[in-house]
Amino acid sequence: MNQQLNGFLLAVEQACSAEALVAASLDLAKISSQLPLNSIDQQAAINCLITLLATNNPGAAAIAVGGLIACKTAAVQAILNNLDEHNYGARAWAVRALAQIGDHRGLAVLQRAIEQDIGPSVRCAAAMGLGRIELAELSPEEKLETMEICLAGLKLGCADGEWIVRYAAVVGLENFSRNSSNSFAQACLLLLKARSQEAIEEVPVVRLRAAQALAAFS
Amino acid sequence: MDNKISSGEPINEIEALQRLTQQVDFSAQYYGAWWLGRMRSKHPSAVPLLLSALTRVLSAPQEPDDLINEKVGVARNAARALGKLKAKVAVADLIKALDHPDHSLREAAARSLGELGDKQALSALVAHLQLRGAGEPVGNSLHLGEPCEALLEAIGQICVMNGLKADQDFQKSLESFQHHNRPVVASAACRALLQISGNSKWAEGIVALLKNSQLLVRRAALLDLAACGWRPAAEQIATCQVENSLKLYALRGLLEDSPDNPGPVQLGEREKQLLALMDQLL
Repeated sequence: MNQQLNGFLLAVEQACSAEALVAASLDLAKISSQLPLNSIDQQAAINCLITLLATNNPGAAAIAVGGLIACKTAAVQAILNNLDEHNYGARAWAVRALAQIGDHRGLAVLQRAIEQDIGPSVRCAAAMGLGRIELAELSPEEKLETMEICLAGLKLGCADGEWIVRYAAVVGLENFSRNSSNSFAQACLLLLKARSQEAIEEVPVVRLRAAQALAAFS
Repeated sequence: MDNKISSGEPINEIEALQRLTQQVDFSAQYYGAWWLGRMRSKHPSAVPLLLSALTRVLSAPQEPDDLINEKVGVARNAARALGKLKAKVAVADLIKALDHPDHSLREAAARSLGELGDKQALSALVAHLQLRGAGEPVGNSLHLGEPCEALLEAIGQICVMNGLKADQDFQKSLESFQHHNRPVVASAACRALLQISGNSKWAEGIVALLKNSQLLVRRAALLDLAACGWRPAAEQIATCQVENSLKLYALRGLLEDSPDNPGPVQLGEREKQLLALMDQLL
């Protein structure tokens, strides 16, 4: 194993204060994306970053998410294998990483999260991610099916009881509409218009964000 | 076994009122009082029932009461609920509750007086802040002599709600807490002073606490800046090491409740920057 990586993994394991853990996470996050792609070393680094999501240390977790995102698709399978059903803080960070990476293998997790996760921050990350799934590699049929699932999820997000999930769904719709064909873009437009209206959306900041997305539309 | 008063089951408004009315099971009263506040009950019996649960513990007992601790517990929840229900009629009794020996009841009363925003409560809140030993720890307990954080926040909130500005005669009392050795109390003092004066020097003290080594202190400072709608701190809030959900909540506060732009928020340049900060936190 890479000696430097070995030292960083040990530093994470032995960190005895919140600050030490943040410092160790920084080192590990930085090196992860530079290791040979899909090597055993990189997978060891990724697995350790995933354990940091559950440490109840928001600084370390945010850094770990950044490290996972930098590893891009190499991190997806490990994240999917390690989703924690009992820790919704960790789940929110993991879903956030999947959302940012935008790999279509994460779609089922995002879909289930927006439909039924009890954690608002998890649904929030999912709503944002549903607008960012990378479609370029998919066949036309897969692409259509994926977009339908994304739009259905974003529609659910727009009707969520928590304002932050509706806000994220608006951001998701803005991104989603950018690479959509006409009929999908029309559906986005209608959902965004609804979110911009005071009679439908009670939270000013959600209306404001929807108005911004609409302005970008025209 | 009586399943009717088991905890954890969802209940409705009538059930909550019944639980608060019965005099046998205090844990049921406690839950009923909490429920009415949490659900913002508009039932005409809610406020009178909550008031009587509060006033029951405010007069000195005629004889020793074995159940006083349970009754005080219910009174705390009643005090909190009266604030949430915006029950102006409760102001006088909540002011009386500031004198109760139970620290948590005093704290709940102070917070609710802040939520009610009635100017008449100001002098009582300030007077409790000025009591001898108000800011000193009581023995080995975690409590200070008075619930200073709640008192300070309530004073700031009442000033905001009534448009009271600088040069309040009690400003000196608030300033005496600006360097309190408990950072959350110092932050609450700076928050109230910032709300009243709009002077950025009070914001600096709170912003510095966003880098405190304690997560609880960072969270408190962040919420204090949000309560002030202090937009210059947006970038520091966005990079502070706390949960993203809390940062998003705070940035929403800056967008919607900025003292610089009263009235509905419009999409200007600064607003676009704040929205971009929020987008990055999703």
